[in-house]
Amino acid sequence: MRIDATHRKWLFASLGIVGAATIAHLADALISAQAPRGGSVLGLTFGIVGSAFMLFAGLLGARNRVPVWRLGRAQTWMRGHLWLGLLSLPLILFHGGFQFGGTLTTILMWLLLLVVASGILGAVLQHYLPNRMTGDVPMETIFDEIDGVRAQLIREADQLVAATCGTLDATADNPAAPAPVAPGEAFDAVLLNPEEGLPLRRFYVNELRPFLKRPLERHVALTDPGRAAAAFEELRKLLPSSAHSTLNDLENICEEERQLLRQVRLHHFLHGWLLVHVPLSLALLVLGAVHAWMALRY
Amino acid sequence: MTAAPVELSIDGVRVSVPAGTTVFDAARLHGIAIPTLCHQQNEVPVGVCRVCVVDVKERVYAPACTRAVRAGMEVTTNSERVQAARRTLIELLLSDHPVPCARQQQSGDCELEALARAMSLSQPRFARRTSGRAKDNSSLAIAVDFDACILCDRCVRGCNEIRGNLVLGRMGKGTQAGIAFDDNKPMGTSTCVSCGECMVSCPTGALTNKRVLGTTLGAGHPVEAERLLELPVFKNVSGTFLELNRGAIVERTFRRGEVVCREGEFGSTAFYILDGKAQVSIGSPIAHVKTQGGATGWFSKLTSRLAGRAEDQREEEASQKFIPIDAPVDLAYENPVAELGPGDLFGEMTCLSFYPRSATVRALTDCRMFEMLRNVLDILQKNKNFKTQLERTYRQRALASHLRGVPIFASLTDEFIEGLRDRVELVRYSPGQVICRQGDPADSFYLVRIGFVKVSEFYPGGELVLAYLSRGNYFGEIGLLGGGVRTATCTALDHVEVVRINGEDFERMVQQFPAVRESLEVVARERRQQNLERQLIVRSVPLDHFLSQGLMEAQSLLILDLQKCTRCDACVRACADAHDGITRLVREGLRFEKYLVATSCRQCRDPLCMVGCPVGSIRRRNSLEVIIEDWCIGCGLCAKNCPYGNINLHPFTVQVDDPLAPGRKTAAVQRKATSCDLCTEHKEPSCVYACPHDAAHRVEPQRFFADLLGGRK
Repeated sequence: MRIDATHRKWLFASLGIVGAATIAHLADALISAQAPRGGSVLGLTFGIVGSAFMLFAGLLGARNRVPVWRLGRAQTWMRGHLWLGLLSLPLILFHGGFQFGGTLTTILMWLLLLVVASGILGAVLQHYLPNRMTGDVPMETIFDEIDGVRAQLIREADQLVAATCGTLDATADNPAAPAPVAPGEAFDAVLLNPEEGLPLRRFYVNELRPFLKRPLERHVALTDPGRAAAAFEELRKLLPSSAHSTLNDLENICEEERQLLRQVRLHHFLHGWLLVHVPLSLALLVLGAVHAWMALRY
Repeated sequence: MTAAPVELSIDGVRVSVPAGTTVFDAARLHGIAIPTLCHQQNEVPVGVCRVCVVDVKERVYAPACTRAVRAGMEVTTNSERVQAARRTLIELLLSDHPVPCARQQQSGDCELEALARAMSLSQPRFARRTSGRAKDNSSLAIAVDFDACILCDRCVRGCNEIRGNLVLGRMGKGTQAGIAFDDNKPMGTSTCVSCGECMVSCPTGALTNKRVLGTTLGAGHPVEAERLLELPVFKNVSGTFLELNRGAIVERTFRRGEVVCREGEFGSTAFYILDGKAQVSIGSPIAHVKTQGGATGWFSKLTSRLAGRAEDQREEEASQKFIPIDAPVDLAYENPVAELGPGDLFGEMTCLSFYPRSATVRALTDCRMFEMLRNVLDILQKNKNFKTQLERTYRQRALASHLRGVPIFASLTDEFIEGLRDRVELVRYSPGQVICRQGDPADSFYLVRIGFVKVSEFYPGGELVLAYLSRGNYFGEIGLLGGGVRTATCTALDHVEVVRINGEDFERMVQQFPAVRESLEVVARERRQQNLERQLIVRSVPLDHFLSQGLMEAQSLLILDLQKCTRCDACVRACADAHDGITRLVREGLRFEKYLVATSCRQCRDPLCMVGCPVGSIRRRNSLEVIIEDWCIGCGLCAKNCPYGNINLHPFTVQVDDPLAPGRKTAAVQRKATSCDLCTEHKEPSCVYACPHDAAHRVEPQRFFADLLGGRK
């Protein structure tokens, strides 16, 4: 979620809560003979409120599973998740008197720190990356559709090359060898003769098609826009001008593939942190409940 | 009294013919063939092609077709010099004629090309015309290729002398000379009755028979032209033309209970009942898709289901009494079943405009019907006898229900309708033809009977579509009730037929029935107000900018702020969750700066989805919201027509009559069209409500973008 001016109220409220909690904690530390601890009335209060905030933050996942239930607008829940989740950290630190305590509480503190840190990272990523995605990926598509779009790009590229220098047989050992024309795939006219079309055929079979097929292989030169542009420029010199329109189309396909790669990468950044944040949050809530039960029981 | 014989010699042969005989006929009578192009035995000779020139020992060669014989005349028809002259003429004609022309391609009998072949001419010496003279494909039955016309006038004489239709004539001079229909109208919109005489007269491919889809009907028995011509409805139709279209009309026999056509099916034929009775009905459940909360309060869960009018009636539907269909009758809303009998024609819209069938027709008794393709239907519709019969049937059976089907006319008395019966006029319009033009004097009121009418206004920045009107809708009242001037242009989108009520009758109606006047004034006021609002919006934003993206046409857009959207698809999931797993939005669409206009119903001002609905079940509410009525038959045409892919078909399992076991019911999947309903059960659409990032918004585009653009200045 983008953190903008609409968050001002939440910011001020959070600062107020933190300020009040800090004053209470400092007062307790100065007045009380003992160091602040979780078992005191104030410590327990910090613990209960902090846990409630964590619980509320954790319920966001459950709320998202029932999007049409009128339980409050999802964005209100998200704002609550962000600010109350963040607030839970100082409150729990006050609860523990900045001590990590025994094994369970140490694990809990580390989990809390990691959850909050991953949450902040996620908030930062979600603040900046949508803008980046919008700018960098003008041909953005629906993430789940990317495989389909890739297959379509390969089909288009195959057709373009076949129409220019004859039907392709990409599996043939010799890419320059003319392949038999399959029924239904014949084109009315092939633009270049086999000799003229050889550079394009070689480039396509050896470089472009593998890139479109397996774009994640980093060694492929076409992932780099500069090197790709140079490769296409070189081809323009080798091929007659009648084939330049095909080259332009292939270059566009190549660019679209690169954009899809960028979209996938950005999408993983945008949502990948949840792989850390969500399990740790679950663990935190479960162990937090164990800690509460043990503390109250014993 | 017979004319005195005249003696002359033709190619050295002494012949005797009655005085007044032409040289051409004299030669023909004695077995001497003189080639010609412009001359036909059944037409008055005009001698324009000059191909029949013969040497009569005068200063110049004479056209044999017009030159009368005289005593002692010596005619040479085939000397080298005559042949050379003919060759030159043929070459000149050929240089202005596509080779091969349409007729040569179709049947290989272009007379000009045959003559050229006979003279061993392949390429003329003369330069060809560099600019073409266009084609006219506006007629459903006849294709016109002006390039292939050799100005022989055979078609003109066929139309005027033989048929007496007075449609074809000549216009232009020199290289611009050509044939013209009426005052140079497209053939399809002229007064041509498609008798086919011009086509059978034409020696080249200038006027050729248009075969519909290049196919003939498979089922049924082809009907011989002679038999068709015996029927009163085919009187005056060209027999040759019917012969050429053999296979485009067949006779079919349906046994009692047999289905003739089913609602929702796509087709290309119309049916004319010869004898027997048929039942026309709508089998789809008369209900609309309603999305509502399964429980109340916070935990309300939306579900989609079918709801009939008895259960969920929209406020403006109370007065809806008839469902318009593609037949001479309307179906009663409460019981959508009607009967068709001998002389009834149904399926016109399907046949002419390829719309899906609007209803299911089943033989009530053993029936015989003609099934025809659009070229035959077009001929029939233009045939005066058939047209008269159709109009009589309409006036007797459908006019009253059609008028009363319009809620504001429900109060008209039988007496008044009886008086109107013979005064209304049924007028046909071809696709693209203007019915009335903005700024013209208002003289008539129109009720749409068949097809779709586009209502638009013109602004300096372009045309703005105000509405599409289908069967049961009306127009022209604003001009008649207001200042007497048309405020908008109404154009036929497809093959349209309207019932025209002239201004005097309209005035009589509104004076006699104050309730009708009040209702019409309310509607006219609302329409004027809506137009005014549009004008204000049009003036406040750069029109061309919005027109180019179609945003101007929208009333409500689902906008995603791409700087906030994390592409989590919570909006899509929420929509699917709210509508039984079938999402009505896709997070993809055109981008406008940082905004994505998601694929979700835009409540367009120019709702193309409404064009073609065979039963008129998709319409606007008074709030301009697009809704789908209960009698949607699930044909899916609206989904196809929506340029933004915003209409879905929602499948439901319903109980229908078992075709294999009469009287029993069986489960079947029926589809109903749905579009975004804005989750009207709730204050906010689910997609917006479920967006955790404040990225999704439903906005009124004009204001939203005007603020956006205005704020930047």
